[in-house]
Amino acid sequence: MSLPTDFGPDSGGRMKGICIVKPIVYGNIARYFGKKREEDGHTHQWTVYVKPFNNEDMSSYVKKVHFKLHESYANQNRIVVKPPYEISETGWGEFEIVIKIYFHDPNERPVTMYHILKLFHSGGTQDIGMEQGKGLVSESYDEIVFQDPSQLMHHLLTNTTQLTLGRWEHNTNFEDKKEKTLKSVLETKQKIRSEIGILKNKLKLAKETISIFKEEIAKSQDSQSMITSYV
Amino acid sequence: MLMCMSKLFSFLFDLQLYVRTLNMNMGDLSTDVGNNGYKQTKIKLGMRKPRKWKWMAFTNPARTDNATFYHWRRPSDEPKEYPFAKFNKKVDLPTYTDVEYQQHLKCEGWTKEETDHLMDLAQRFDLRFMIMADRYDTLKYPKRSVEDLKERYYKICGILAKIEEEQFLLGELKKIEARKKERERKTQDLQKLISQADNQNETPRKTDKKLPKKKITNPTRPSRIDTNAVESAGIKFPDYKNSGASLRSQRMKLPANVGQKKSKGIEQILQEMGLDLNPIPTEEICQHFNELRSDIVLLMELKTALGSCEYELQSLRHQYEAVNPGKTLSIPSQLLSISDNETKVNTAEIIDVVGSPGTPSNT
Repeated sequence: MSLPTDFGPDSGGRMKGICIVKPIVYGNIARYFGKKREEDGHTHQWTVYVKPFNNEDMSSYVKKVHFKLHESYANQNRIVVKPPYEISETGWGEFEIVIKIYFHDPNERPVTMYHILKLFHSGGTQDIGMEQGKGLVSESYDEIVFQDPSQLMHHLLTNTTQLTLGRWEHNTNFEDKKEKTLKSVLETKQKIRSEIGILKNKLKLAKETISIFKEEIAKSQDSQSMITSYV
Repeated sequence: MLMCMSKLFSFLFDLQLYVRTLNMNMGDLSTDVGNNGYKQTKIKLGMRKPRKWKWMAFTNPARTDNATFYHWRRPSDEPKEYPFAKFNKKVDLPTYTDVEYQQHLKCEGWTKEETDHLMDLAQRFDLRFMIMADRYDTLKYPKRSVEDLKERYYKICGILAKIEEEQFLLGELKKIEARKKERERKTQDLQKLISQADNQNETPRKTDKKLPKKKITNPTRPSRIDTNAVESAGIKFPDYKNSGASLRSQRMKLPANVGQKKSKGIEQILQEMGLDLNPIPTEEICQHFNELRSDIVLLMELKTALGSCEYELQSLRHQYEAVNPGKTLSIPSQLLSISDNETKVNTAEIIDVVGSPGTPSNT
């Protein structure tokens, strides 16, 4: 990689107002052995991964990806320095994996994600056809937002290369999910707003009625005191 | 007189105990015969060890002279109070201070001294007006009939009771006024909330920025209320203007100042609406989702406010009914079904209602 070397001492200086977004996908796939393995009781093979949402080589700006597995695994902390950023293991249980992405510029703090390793079907997992029987996938979409990147980081982020020449696809149809989610969020927002409108009208009416009631009470109290003063 | 009576009672009591014991033994005898015929060779009289009687001293708490007398009693009964002391009933007489007398109890034909004398007699003779009239100090004061004494005494009682009631009512009134003030304070908050809601609808993204300016333009309001309303209207998500790398999903985290009650309420409404609690975090979704949750909090607060308004309306109506018996005030029907509407949040009806904003939503 040929980097301009003249960033010099102000490479930590940030480019104000510039924001670069890098969408990513992280999660795991898992495949059932079909039976419990005799020697260690393991039932599944799984792979946890971080990959770019778009077809690009993340290694230009990612220094390393740190996967922290369950403490029962030998070598609990696994570090991957080049794509594919993934760890394959076997096991029998689900647990939370901490994924930390470090960047080439030490001035950029790493970002941390938490992924629950899925081996069994539940909400949020989906089937995928894997060789040797059935498999499942559980993955999430997120975006790394670089606000005011340093000059070095900006250079690294904007000079990425394609990862593959072929099609770059994901197990989950995120575009569809984005579209549907946005639609339903907007619809709900509309509903809530209109409800707020109704409530505001009601509140207005309630407040008006309260002042009318107060007037009525004041009136009747006046007339009462007039009656009593006559008596 | 009391002393003679208590002695007599004491004797009667002991006698009664004796008779009762005798009866019990007789009872044993008769049941034995009834159940077993004459098969039992020996009557089991007093299978228990006989309890001892003892000639012992006792004091009567009804007496003030601490006189000690003796009677037979069981040692096991010793800690018990003399059983006839409870019959020494005292009449609870009202009392008054000098100030109270001067203000409320003055009466033509009665001096304070004579009134005091009357109350003293009433105390001494437990309101037996015949005796009180008999012992009346006719040297100092004019002769009074039993009826005169009764009239004066019961009038005093009536006035004193009335004073006490008035004081109680005054206390209640103070409480009511305090509550009223509290409600007025809330109404002020509410006003703030409504204007907040207006802003939110017109310029949803600029709300946060506008706030500091508002504080300056509205210096007359007490600052406490102001900040209150600002905090309560929706959610203030932190500005992600800080330099550096971060995850988009982080921006959808509720700020720490959103309490558990609020966040639970948000969750519930989102679930009712069929929305994911952690939707896919694109920039657009993130923004709208945060605004949505801020609106939800506002909605919940408006509901609470409307609830307290409804309560106030009800209590005002009661107040009116109390002043004008037989008449009432009618609360507009759309304000009466708050709890009904709440359950309809997730239906399409809301949209229909909005189609014609002028018409009230009573169904």
